[in-house]
Amino acid sequence: MGISSDVIRGYNDTIILYLLQREPSYGYEISKQIRQLSDEKYVIKETTLYSAFNRMEKNGYIESFAGENPENGKKRTYYQITDLGRAYYREKCEEWVLTKEVVEKFIQ
Amino acid sequence: METIKIYLENMFMNLPNTPEVYKAKQELLQMMEDKYQELKSEGKTENEAIGIVISEFGNLDEIAKDLGIETCVEHAVPEGKKLSLEEAKEYIQDMGHAATGIALGVMFLIISFVGPIVADAFADAGMKEELTDMVGAVSLFLMWALGIGIIIYTNIKKSKWDKMQHENYVTEFSTTEYIQRQWEVYKQSYATTKTLGVVLCIISFIPAIVLDAVHSTYITDSMGGAGLFLFVGVGVFLLISSESRKGSYMRLLGLNDPKSVGGKYTVDQKKNHQPKNPVLRAILSVYWPTVTCIYLIYSFLTFNWHISWIIFVIAGVIQMFLNNLEGEES
Repeated sequence: MGISSDVIRGYNDTIILYLLQREPSYGYEISKQIRQLSDEKYVIKETTLYSAFNRMEKNGYIESFAGENPENGKKRTYYQITDLGRAYYREKCEEWVLTKEVVEKFIQ
Repeated sequence: METIKIYLENMFMNLPNTPEVYKAKQELLQMMEDKYQELKSEGKTENEAIGIVISEFGNLDEIAKDLGIETCVEHAVPEGKKLSLEEAKEYIQDMGHAATGIALGVMFLIISFVGPIVADAFADAGMKEELTDMVGAVSLFLMWALGIGIIIYTNIKKSKWDKMQHENYVTEFSTTEYIQRQWEVYKQSYATTKTLGVVLCIISFIPAIVLDAVHSTYITDSMGGAGLFLFVGVGVFLLISSESRKGSYMRLLGLNDPKSVGGKYTVDQKKNHQPKNPVLRAILSVYWPTVTCIYLIYSFLTFNWHISWIIFVIAGVIQMFLNNLEGEES
């Protein structure tokens, strides 16, 4: 059984912000890390990822800049987290702890 | 890799050419390319890699809201209204020929007066009048037949592109980029041609002045008039051909205009901005032919060719005034 995109949708931003907290990154790199860290259980769609970038940039959680991959020199749009984004991330983490607590009471 | 590009092109085909859409497309392409390269380096075959990339692409509806193009995703231009690169190239070529055709036709109409003027001069100089009259008249009507013939023929030939006027067409970004490059190339000769055309029209009365100053006889006097028509004829030829050629580039480049966001496509933009007042509209529709007639009649009656061109300058100012009399919005 695969993961339901409806359920995880609310936490795409959290996942991306977690990765950006570690270091600025770009589209494919992030989608690759999501796949690897989730043990291939969650593969984020390109449109979902772009939509999240776009929305979070508008909200001021992340900023984009033109960067270069130090390994292969390819030019990419990099994203980095802002202070506002860090605060939002903490908020979402607390929300998840609470959500998990509540939902788990109903899971057998 | 081409397959992925084509896939993305098709997904984006019916969307307006806004900066947001363009950016989204570039970013998505980048992600897909990266994924494709990685899959290939992991040893996947071309087809496997493409399959995975496309299956994991997602749905455009998801980003439509972010780009403010929901309405476009839903009410996209109907199928089959895409103008391919080949068609665009053909359009540019056909319109180029049509531009030359129309310009040539108008030029013949203008220089048709040279024959009678020259013939008349020879009559004044002592040649048999029956002969010169006949030659003059025959040359006039021959030129008219030629000019009108070319114009009609050209209009029939280019009528296959009439659909561009009243149907919604869109082009892919790559096509638009190609046309833009072509236009950049043509721009230089457009400027040169147009300038030459304007200069020829302005200096058209110089032969008359020069000939008059050097040695005034019947022959030289009328040669001045003939020279004027030749100059104006060639000048107008250059003006019309360069302007309508430019028009065809602008038409194609205007297809995916950023202003067409939200389903407002070219038909809206292309609506003729005509004044509401029917009287004013009627006047404007016959304005330039009337001005030309006045110019010709006045010039032939008075032979004040050296000054009569000012009618066009005055007419131009009056037209600007008429246009502003009532807002151009319809």
